[in-house]
Amino acid sequence: MKVDRRKFLQISSATAAVAAVAPGTTLVSNLAHAKGKMKSVAQGEWISTVCQGCTTWCPVQAYVVEGRVTKVRGNPHSKANHGQICPRPHLAIQQMYDPDRVKTPMKRTNPKKGREEDPKFVPITWEEAIDTIADKMLELRQNSESEKFVLLRGRYSYMRDLLYGAVPKIFGSPNGISHSAICAEAEKFGSFYTEGYWGYNDFDLEHTKYVICWGADPVASNRQVPHAMSIWGHVVDNATLVTVDPRLSATAAKGKKWLPVIPGEDGALALAMAHVILTEGLWSKEFVGDFKDGQNHFAMKHEIDESMFNEVESHGVVKWWNLEVMKRTPEWAAPICGIPAEQIREVAMGFAKAAPYAISWVSPGASMQVRGGYSSMAAHALNGLVGSIDHKGGVVQGGKPPVSKTPSFKPYQDDVAKKHSKAKKIDQRGFKDFPAMKKKPGKGVVTNNTADAILQGKPYDVKVIIGYWNNFNFSCAGADRWDRALTKVPFFAHITTNIAEMTHFADIVLPAAFSMFEKNAYIKGKQNLHSYAGLQQRVVKPLWDVKMDESEVSFMLAQSLAKKGFKNLLEYYQAEFKDPETGKVPETSLEFTESALKFYTKPLWDGTKGAAKGDHIHGWNEFKRLGVWNTKRYKYKKHWGGKFKTKTKKFEFYSETLKKNLKAHAEKHHTNVDDIMKTCKYTGQGEYAFIPHHEPAYRWGDPGKYPLIFNEHRSRLNREGRSQNVPWYYELKDVDPGDVINADVAKINPITASKYGLENGDKIRITSPTGHLECTVKVWEGVRPGTVIKCYGQGHWNYGRIASADFAKKVPKGGSNNHLLPCDYDRFSGSTARHGGLTRVNIQKV
Amino acid sequence: MKKKYGMVIDLRKCVGCGGCDLACKTENNTADGISWGSHYTETTGVFPEVQYEHIPTLCNHCEDPPCVRVCPTQSMYVDEDGFVLHSAESCIGCQSCVLADPYGVIHYNSRKPTAKWESTKELVAGCTSSGREIQRLTKQELPHVNPDRGKTYQAVRDKGIVEKCTFCDHKTKQGQQPHCVTSCPAGARVFGDLNDSNSEASRLLQKYKSRVLKPHKGTRPKVHYIRNYGDNA
Repeated sequence: MKVDRRKFLQISSATAAVAAVAPGTTLVSNLAHAKGKMKSVAQGEWISTVCQGCTTWCPVQAYVVEGRVTKVRGNPHSKANHGQICPRPHLAIQQMYDPDRVKTPMKRTNPKKGREEDPKFVPITWEEAIDTIADKMLELRQNSESEKFVLLRGRYSYMRDLLYGAVPKIFGSPNGISHSAICAEAEKFGSFYTEGYWGYNDFDLEHTKYVICWGADPVASNRQVPHAMSIWGHVVDNATLVTVDPRLSATAAKGKKWLPVIPGEDGALALAMAHVILTEGLWSKEFVGDFKDGQNHFAMKHEIDESMFNEVESHGVVKWWNLEVMKRTPEWAAPICGIPAEQIREVAMGFAKAAPYAISWVSPGASMQVRGGYSSMAAHALNGLVGSIDHKGGVVQGGKPPVSKTPSFKPYQDDVAKKHSKAKKIDQRGFKDFPAMKKKPGKGVVTNNTADAILQGKPYDVKVIIGYWNNFNFSCAGADRWDRALTKVPFFAHITTNIAEMTHFADIVLPAAFSMFEKNAYIKGKQNLHSYAGLQQRVVKPLWDVKMDESEVSFMLAQSLAKKGFKNLLEYYQAEFKDPETGKVPETSLEFTESALKFYTKPLWDGTKGAAKGDHIHGWNEFKRLGVWNTKRYKYKKHWGGKFKTKTKKFEFYSETLKKNLKAHAEKHHTNVDDIMKTCKYTGQGEYAFIPHHEPAYRWGDPGKYPLIFNEHRSRLNREGRSQNVPWYYELKDVDPGDVINADVAKINPITASKYGLENGDKIRITSPTGHLECTVKVWEGVRPGTVIKCYGQGHWNYGRIASADFAKKVPKGGSNNHLLPCDYDRFSGSTARHGGLTRVNIQKV
Repeated sequence: MKKKYGMVIDLRKCVGCGGCDLACKTENNTADGISWGSHYTETTGVFPEVQYEHIPTLCNHCEDPPCVRVCPTQSMYVDEDGFVLHSAESCIGCQSCVLADPYGVIHYNSRKPTAKWESTKELVAGCTSSGREIQRLTKQELPHVNPDRGKTYQAVRDKGIVEKCTFCDHKTKQGQQPHCVTSCPAGARVFGDLNDSNSEASRLLQKYKSRVLKPHKGTRPKVHYIRNYGDNA
């Protein structure tokens, strides 16, 4: 056959146009290797599951051949990502087949803890591991201190309540502590204290004509990534794309204008845009309303009598103008945010003229900053000003898949549980300096403060921790505090796929099933104006005896506790999570997983609520095959007409909702709002506390000693912090603009480079007031002079042979930004600050 | 008319994600460090007026392919559909093609592509796995090997020979699209017969001005690029 092929080649190259074939014939019939000539190979099938590599949580499918995953694609049944995926799911294959996976439960045999200490892990059985945890927990109950048990949750599925909810509550602790405040709570703060929505918005990219991305990098990360990627060509063709980011992001590279804002000054820029929109008379008359006399009195740039304005869907626009926007001219903002006044004016006018088909897209970049809650409000308020909120081509909320609610824990709480689960939570939420106002004061989590609370022993000492799918010793700013905190805690059990930094401090390690291919669970998400519930499935039999964190480990723990006399948790699981079709009581961890999953998702496939609100799925087996249930498309203007969930039911430029909560928090601490503002590092006083207003960027470090501003960003290859033991991550790292393959680089502008005498490839040490790291220099025009910009993700000293430079000696590969970043907060949302130039730094060649 | 299969890449749609490169790796079982589908990036301008481009690359399946011309064993050849293909069986690994290829898309396997999976080293003895154990448990030298690749080529190529993009002949010759095309989330890639004026690829080339890489090399590439990557040039 080969010889024939060559002969054909010789003939065809000698005579250019031989072998004419009729035009229009199909590819199949005319190509040289007819099907029959191909070797026959094992066939596989596409099985639906969900990727949790970022927070989009896409319905995907895995191609499974002879029990192995060979490739991935988007789930074609998903209306949200319509069968598309970003690069992350591909990396998941190497993540599952990672030779450094933990394959068995282990226990620590070196009682000394610390980064320098080898834990001397040895393999043990599942039974020994779970029994050890149960014993440690029961000791707390015996000593009447069950609140000293803490469940630290990282990433999760919506099976989370089985572990994060039920275990502490029924056992007798208030401490289900989530990771949420290291994620993006400050972003939610902006939409909640304007439009009353504590959640991530969705965006009508199909119909939009103008997009301002505030640190948002949707073609690379967070959020709705595959949908954004698939429609971005259309967006660039039909809309003006402006990106506000100190770094030329992947999205900025595609856009019309890049506004390289001085880190942390997004708020000033947004306020100046609001000023232009009002003075130019470009606000939405339909949404905001108008002056009674039809004149634009904002144009006169003086204080206005509120009674002159008829407000429609919003509240407090004139108050906001009088207090703040009036003085925030582009000329005022230009030197603060580093964007020329003319450019501010041009973008603001372009945005408002395109409105209501306009999107002001707030992201963690512009909000996860000290004082970032107000920037988030300011940038989000632009959507209110131009009436793009809940409008076609604008910014919308999302739908909720009608799943079953987690059954109440209360009937299963004994007196100990009732009493101790009401203790103060360990993270100090609600303390005077941690208002953490998720909807109400003291209701949000302050994840990163848990380390300090443990170290302070305040409100009490922590004695037993179970952590799952988290790695706070790597992912939290001020990471070293977590090393000290976990060294102090007498007993820590970690459920994990790899020996992460956090695992290094564990007494017991439980090998977790890898979420995307080895776990049964469900998730919720939204993209493309469709919300959805996706089914995560064990598409292949795991190679090792790993267990699903939220369902299996919980059930095994409940069985062990019951064996030792505490039956309530097992009773809850068995009584409340019977198989909804057969009524069978779950007896094993796998049965429990399936029955709980069916229990939660039943309304989506039993022809009831799900069929009414979206896809009509006929039964459990069809749901498993499809892998996703989609809502109907979002209907615009759902919240217009006084249906926003704010105090006034309107879109609040003057936030009565925030006022109410701040006053309540101040009263609780017998003080006033001004004092709370100061305590929490905000500069605004009086009425300013209740409006989006300018707060100067807060930075650690003396400019004399630390002349450069450090800023970080995300990678389109980051599966959060978990893809760094994957070789493909390094092979493709240059898909992040400015980054370099097989390196961890700090990007500096050529002006900065020449000042410091640095060249591409030089090794440097970056030092902040609280830490340092070493990495490589990349000289690049895509960053603002005077800044040092570095991607988050590398710098692991644990996790595996590829992630770390020397696993045995705990030498990091590259440098982790969280060893450089001080621990600080946007205290009103409880968020850990990481963006906005949180710290100044110095750099030295090493 | 003779077929002339080629690809059109719409850079306006491309978002530079590297999904094509990764999808290619999973489809074609390339070793770490070898990418049939790849890319280069370019930053031009001076802050704050900066332009950035991401250009996906793959074998150009040239009409006048220098790699075919120099191959002493005729292992590189053009098939009747215009695909530039490689015979793993007769390749002697002389790398003349690698030298002749102006695009850097032919790769030489200096090591056994699955060598790293043969390691028996465990990070923590008895607690973590190893490459060799995963090989044993999956019964494969490459745990995630895609057997489809083996329909027309060695599923995983041997040490000491070269390898390159085949336009996913194992798929395209069965009427499917190349895997990089179906995997591109942005719909930036179109594969088709450039001699068929009705094919989508031809229509794009009629509609937009196109360019090829290194036209001065005279290779007549069949991978064409249309439109600009950025909107701010």
